[in-house]
Amino acid sequence: MKIVVCIKQVPRRDDLLRINADKSWIDESSLSFEANESDAYALEEALRLKEKHGGEVIVATLGPSDASKTIKEGLAKGADRAIHLCDSTFEKLDAVATAKSLAAAIGPEAPDVIFTGLQSDDLGYGQTGVLMAEMLDLPHASIVIALETSEDGKTLRVKRELENGWFQWISMATPALVTIQSGINKPRYASLKGIMGAKKKPVDVRTASDLGLNADALTPREAIGSLYLPVREKQTEMLEGDAETVAAALVARLRGNGVI
Amino acid sequence: MPPLEREELPFDVVFVGAGPASLAGALHLANLVKLHNSSGGNLGEIEIAVIEKGAEVGAHGLSGAVMDPKGLAELMPDFLERGCPVEAPVGKDAVMYLTGSAKFTLPITPPPLDNHGYYVVSLSKLLRWMAPICEEAGVNIFPEFPGQSLLYDGDQVVGVRTGDKGIDKHGQPKENFEPGVDLLAKVVVLGEGPRGTLTKELTARMNLDRRSDPQVYALGVKEIWELPDDRLEAGTVFHTLGFPHSGEVFGGGFLYMMKDRLLDIGLVTGLDCLDPQIDPHHEFQRFKTHPWIAGLLDGGKMISYGAKAIPEGGYYSIPRLHSGGVLIVGDSGSLLNGQRLKGLHTAMKSGMLAAEAIFDALVADDYSSDAMLRYSQKVKASWIDKELYEVRNFHQAFEKGRMAGLVTNGISFMTKGIFPKRLPIHAGHTRMRTLKEYYGKTDVQKYDLKFDGKLTFDKVTDVYHSGAAHDEDQPCHLKVVDTSICVDRCTEEFGNPCERFCPAAVYEMVGSGGDRRLQINFSNCVHCKTCDIMDPYQIINWTPPEGGGGPNYKRM
Ligand SMILES: Cc1cc2nc3c(=O)[nH]c(=O)nc-3n(C[C@H](O)[C@H](O)[C@H](O)COP(=O)(O)OP(=O)(O)OC[C@H]3O[C@@H](n4cnc5c(N)ncnc54)[C@H](O)[C@@H]3O)c2cc1C
Ligand code: SF4
Repeated sequence: MKIVVCIKQVPRRDDLLRINADKSWIDESSLSFEANESDAYALEEALRLKEKHGGEVIVATLGPSDASKTIKEGLAKGADRAIHLCDSTFEKLDAVATAKSLAAAIGPEAPDVIFTGLQSDDLGYGQTGVLMAEMLDLPHASIVIALETSEDGKTLRVKRELENGWFQWISMATPALVTIQSGINKPRYASLKGIMGAKKKPVDVRTASDLGLNADALTPREAIGSLYLPVREKQTEMLEGDAETVAAALVARLRGNGVI
Repeated sequence: MPPLEREELPFDVVFVGAGPASLAGALHLANLVKLHNSSGGNLGEIEIAVIEKGAEVGAHGLSGAVMDPKGLAELMPDFLERGCPVEAPVGKDAVMYLTGSAKFTLPITPPPLDNHGYYVVSLSKLLRWMAPICEEAGVNIFPEFPGQSLLYDGDQVVGVRTGDKGIDKHGQPKENFEPGVDLLAKVVVLGEGPRGTLTKELTARMNLDRRSDPQVYALGVKEIWELPDDRLEAGTVFHTLGFPHSGEVFGGGFLYMMKDRLLDIGLVTGLDCLDPQIDPHHEFQRFKTHPWIAGLLDGGKMISYGAKAIPEGGYYSIPRLHSGGVLIVGDSGSLLNGQRLKGLHTAMKSGMLAAEAIFDALVADDYSSDAMLRYSQKVKASWIDKELYEVRNFHQAFEKGRMAGLVTNGISFMTKGIFPKRLPIHAGHTRMRTLKEYYGKTDVQKYDLKFDGKLTFDKVTDVYHSGAAHDEDQPCHLKVVDTSICVDRCTEEFGNPCERFCPAAVYEMVGSGGDRRLQINFSNCVHCKTCDIMDPYQIINWTPPEGGGGPNYKRM
C-alpha cells in the first residue's frame, strides 16, 4: 500500500502570538514550530496502515526550508521518504493554490491512500484535503475519527464526526483521500534510533517550476488585509430611576441605536 | 511495570545537556577529530551525541546575558562573521545602588563589572545558532531526550540511560510507550547546568565533593519587556545593588538592552537566605516598583518570563571534575564567576578543555579515571582557574551581609585576591532559619505588594509567559520523599517555604484541617532547580520529566 500523508509545519499552539509591524501576519521570529496537530494523527494512521498492509509512507510538506524539521520528525517516526515543496513561489498561498501544488506533486505517485489533517492550526481553512481530492479525482471522507481497512486494503471503512454527537460510517474504495480528526489514535514518539535513521532517508525538494506550476496559477484568490487582536468593546451602562423611567430610557436608547 | 529489554546505542562520546558548555565541547571535539583524520591520523569516525531535555536546543537556555567573548572566540574566532546572533556590543555601562526611592550611580564602574568589549546576547538564541553548526560538523543532537541515569561498569561510567516516554500518571505504560535507551559511551560529559541530576548522582556516588566546599546557589528571576520607544540604546547595561533586598540577602539586579526594543530585566536572589519567608519572584516584582525602574518600563509590555539557578560557590566549591569515563563541565562543575555574574565564557572554555582531554583519551584508547584526570589538570592550568581563584571568596564574604561583603570584596580586589584567605561557606538549605528563630513567631506575612497585572505579575501569569508545559498524564517529576512533613513539621517550623521559593507556583498547600496536603502543579515547572536546592529538609528531588516538557524560552 502506498500512502501519502500531508504534514504542515505550524506555530506551536501555546506560543504567544505577536502581530508583525505591517499587520500582515504574526511575527515569526518569536515563534517555534511543530507539526500541525491533526497531521500528526494522520501520520500515525498512515504508519499503522503500513504496519498492517506493508508498502511505503511518503510525507508531503509544502513550506519554507526550515519545515525540514517537521519532515525529519515524520521520517524519524517511520515514514520512508518525503517530498518537500519549497520555493518562494509557495509563500502565502491560499487553500486552492496549496491544494493545486500538493496535487501536482502527489498525483504522479498514484498513492492508494492520501491522508491530510482536518485543518491547519494556523489558518484553519479546512479545505486543502477536500480540494486536493477533487483535483485528483478521488473520493474523499472528511473529519474521520476511526478507520478500518479490508484485508486486501482495497476498501476503507471510516467513521466521520457529524454535528451534535452524530456519526456516520461509510465505505469507500481506494484510491481515496481521508482528512483525519485529532484524537483518532495515540501518535508514537520518535525513537532515538529512528532519528538517527531519518538522516539517511531521501527528501525530494521540489520547486514550483519542477511541478510545472507558474506564479500565475498560484495567485491567491484571497489575501490577508490586516491582522489585529480582538478588541474588547463590551460596555455596561446602568440606567437609573424607577421602572417607568428606566423603561422609557431603554426604549429611547434602542431606538437611537436603530435596534428597534 | 515488567522489566524490559532496553535498546543499546553505541556512541563514542555523549554530552548531557545542550548548553554552551556541551555545544562548545562537542563542536571542538568534532573539529579536533576531523583535523586529526585529515592529517593522517587514524581515529576514524567518532560518533558524538548531545542529548537535551528541552523540546529544542535553546528552549531551556536562560542567562542574562552579557557575554565575555573570550570562550567563544577561542572556539570560533570568526563568530561574528559566521552570524553569531549578538544583540549589541555593550555600550553604556553603569552600576547603581538603589534605596527604596532613589538611585545612586557609582561614579566609576568597578572593574569586575566593567563590560566593555563584551556583547549583550540571548542564550536561547545563541544556542539555536550553535546547534546547526555542531550538526554540520557531524554532531548528533537529540532534543526531547533527558538523561535519566548514568550507566556504570563497576565505578567506570559507560553510558547514559534516557528517560522513558509515554508513561501515565499512575506509572503505567500508555499505548505509545517508548522506553528510554541506553546510550553507550567511552566518555560521558555532564553539561547539565546548575544542580544537574546526573551530576548530583555521580557526585554522591563517587564522593567527588569530599575535598570541596558545599555549593551555594542564587536564583535569577527574569522578564523580557518590549519598550514602546528607543529610550534605552541596545547594548546598555545596568547592574544594581540594594533595593529590594534587605542588607542580609545576597543578590542584585540587572538590565540589559537587546535589539528590537527588548529589555532583559532580572533580579538575582541568594538561595542561602536566613529568612524562611523569602520569595525571589516577589522580590523581583518589588524590584520593578522602584521609581527609576518603573519609569524605564512605563508604557512597555512584559512578553517573556523565566527563572534559573546560578551556582555561586565558585572556586572552593568546584568538585573533582572527573571520574572514570565521565567529565563535568560548565555550571555543573561550579565554573561560574559569581562576582561578574558570568559563566558563559568559562562554560564554553571548560567544554573545549573536556574535548581536548577526550581527544587524547581517544588516541590513547584509555578512559580510566587516570586518563580523565587530564581534564582536571587542563582546567587547573587554564584561565578559568586563574579567574575563579581571584574571586574565590566573593560569595562567602556576603554571608555576613551586604556591607561586610562589599568591604571584603574591595580588599580582595585591591590585593588581587591575596586577602582574605579562605572564608567559610554553608549550603543554603542549612542556613534557613525557622520562623521562630527568625521572626520570634510563626504567624508571619512578609510581603504586602499587590500585583497590578501591568508592572507586576503573579506567578501564574508569569509562568504563562515562560511557555512552560508538560504532558499532564505522566508521573510528577518532583519527587517529595515524605509529604507528611509538609503538613505538620514544615508548616510549624518554616511555614512551607516551597510555596514561596518556587518561582512558578508549583507547590501549593491546599485543603484545611485534616485534609490539608501538598499539591504539586508540576506542569508549571520552569526547571530552575530551586526546590531541590533550597528545601530545608532536602526531601525534594527534581528529576527530569518526559522529554520536551518544561519552559519554551525564545530569547532568554
Ligand atoms: C539570570 C542569569 C543571568 C546570567 N547572566 C550571565 C551573564 O550576563 N553573562 C554570563 O556569561 N553568564 C551569565 N549567567 C550564567 C550562564 O548563563 C551560565 O553560566 C551558563 O549558561 C552555563 O552553561 P552550561 O552549559 O554549563 O549550562 P546551561 O546553560 O544551564 O545548560 C544546561 C543544559 O542542559 C540541559 N539539561 C540539564 N540536565 C539535563 C539532563 N539530565 N538531560 C538532558 N538535558 C539536561 C538543560 O535543559 C540545559 O539546556 C547567568 C545565569 C543566570 C541564571
Ligand atoms: S518546581 Fe522546583 S524546579 Fe520547578 S520551577 Fe518550582 S522551584 Fe523551580
